[in-house]
Amino acid sequence: MKTNKYLIVVTSNDLLEMKVKNTNFLFPMKGYCVGFSKTFLLSEINVSNAYLYINRILDKESILELKKELSNLNKNIIGLCFTDLGILSLVKELELSLKLIYMQHHCTTNATSINYYLDYMDSVLISTDITKEEIMFILDHSKKPLVVPYFSLVDVMYSRRTLLTNYNQHFGYENENEAILHEEISNQEFMALENEYGTVLYTKKFVDYREINHENILFRFINPFGLTKEKLESLLKGEEVEVLKYTGFLNQETYYLLKEDK
Amino acid sequence: MKDIELLAPAGDLERLKIAYLYGADAVYCAGKKYGLRANANNFTLEELKEAVEVAHSFHKKIYVTVNIIFHEKEIAGIDEYLQNLDAIGVDAVIASDILVIKKVQELGLNLQVHVSTQASILNSEAGLFYKSLGATRLVLAREANLKDIQDIKAKTGLELECFIHGAMCTSFSGRCVLSNYCTNRDANRGGCAQICRWTFTLDDKKDVFSMTPKDLNLIEYIKDMMQVGVNSFKVEGRMRGIYYIATVILTYRKIIDQIKANNLRESDINYYLDILNRCANRESTPQFVNKLPSKDEQYFLGRQELSNQDFLGIVLSYDKEKEIVILEQRNYFKVGDIVEFFGPDLETFSYQIDEIWNENDEQIEIANHPRMIVKLKIKTILKKYDMMRIKVFDKQDYL
Repeated sequence: MKTNKYLIVVTSNDLLEMKVKNTNFLFPMKGYCVGFSKTFLLSEINVSNAYLYINRILDKESILELKKELSNLNKNIIGLCFTDLGILSLVKELELSLKLIYMQHHCTTNATSINYYLDYMDSVLISTDITKEEIMFILDHSKKPLVVPYFSLVDVMYSRRTLLTNYNQHFGYENENEAILHEEISNQEFMALENEYGTVLYTKKFVDYREINHENILFRFINPFGLTKEKLESLLKGEEVEVLKYTGFLNQETYYLLKEDK
Repeated sequence: MKDIELLAPAGDLERLKIAYLYGADAVYCAGKKYGLRANANNFTLEELKEAVEVAHSFHKKIYVTVNIIFHEKEIAGIDEYLQNLDAIGVDAVIASDILVIKKVQELGLNLQVHVSTQASILNSEAGLFYKSLGATRLVLAREANLKDIQDIKAKTGLELECFIHGAMCTSFSGRCVLSNYCTNRDANRGGCAQICRWTFTLDDKKDVFSMTPKDLNLIEYIKDMMQVGVNSFKVEGRMRGIYYIATVILTYRKIIDQIKANNLRESDINYYLDILNRCANRESTPQFVNKLPSKDEQYFLGRQELSNQDFLGIVLSYDKEKEIVILEQRNYFKVGDIVEFFGPDLETFSYQIDEIWNENDEQIEIANHPRMIVKLKIKTILKKYDMMRIKVFDKQDYL
């Protein structure tokens, strides 16, 4: 049976007021996430069946702090989405019973690797760097149900540097932690978000993967950053929403040898 | 400090030999497939076999990068490729995709697995995960500071490798696909177009936005890094030329040896810093090892690279009887120039060029044809692969 379960990043509090079935909310954890303007303390996460999102690459001090915080996890948090594989050792050490979903989606690009990862976790988010054909192949061959992108801004770069602060300091501008970058040659635009842990660049357009359907899907992943609650609700009802969107690499394979250059 | 390794890049056999001659304990390179510099020369399997023979004849090690993130179509052939690398005696593969790490174990190969910096390892827990997969060495994220390194060493007990010199990504390595979006070239399969060195406009601001980092240079922290448990000190630059490789590797060789001998002075570091900065084409800083980089560790006008023409020639042979050195010219020089010779077993010395002969023994005033053969009269015995460069710095001035 094909699933219609959604995993939605909580990018603003009003999203929690939505009345949608088959949805689990994913809360960016304060102090352990980059690329979100809204993050949550554990004490602020009160909904049932919540997932916790930790997407930083963690240094020694951060992982020690995180260990303390996770040791007092409320029962309403049933899952953990992460990008640092160190989380696996931490969860094991703390004997936490959580659904573990790996979200370093730039390295989940083939079925063999994903199946190796699945020996250590419950699911992974499939990459947005591959084609529809590759995604379907992965879903056909994965030994556990996977998370697929549905309608999201895609994080395309994560730097430990505070790139916006550096720019503003250098040129004497007032500091802002959000900006739109435009690259002239490719005419691509990216949204930059910075906090003290680094800078994330997102695509400015939403990547629209709604056409992906398969029996082996655990969740459809939505990072609604930039979408209003109303637009997100419309989207979940299957309606069209007026935002910049495209299908990314679904129908366009990347290459890497210059002799392939067209 | 016994098991300290200086690890050099090599884009081809010539650079590999130069790296070993100038003091590298090990070299890393890539085959024609599966490496993250897909458009470099790289090595055929036959060339890798020869490279292994060269490495082991020097009693040194050779590692091969198999560090792409695999898409389905690259997987066919990886088993055979790893088996071939094992069969020809490669010492280790540098991998980031879990597929490669697992395959090496499943195929029962003797290859060691070093986890690439692409895996962004910054904490001991991540290190323990890779240890459980069978990895023997971790190439840490360039974002690691001394405390992170010390903790990872203490808790994993694995060999640790850290980049100490060369270019670096703006992002955590492996966590950037800007190239995919701007050029359709896949960054994580070797096609990175280095978009982080391009310029952008930011909102409606008049000044261009750039995120280009300055290069990494950890010369002042080598001793500290040894003390916290780093085993392998890695120089970036598989696309770099022989002069760069020779200069950088020889400099770090001297630094490491002087630290081991406990005779590295402040004046030496200052001199070596100038040598290293001169042969690079960008400014360099320690970046993350001691603090978070600020605006001073990056450029704001995009790509800012200087061309270096210090490399004047490479020694082909030396005639002891006639006290004549035969050089292959690499950059313009002329009679009257003050130059210096350096080499693996040579105390760097200055020399004023009084006379030059071409390969027909005709006296000439200038050497201005690329790769022309020239002769100079020099009393000091030189060896093949010693090099001649413009003299800019004098070690005496640093004392």
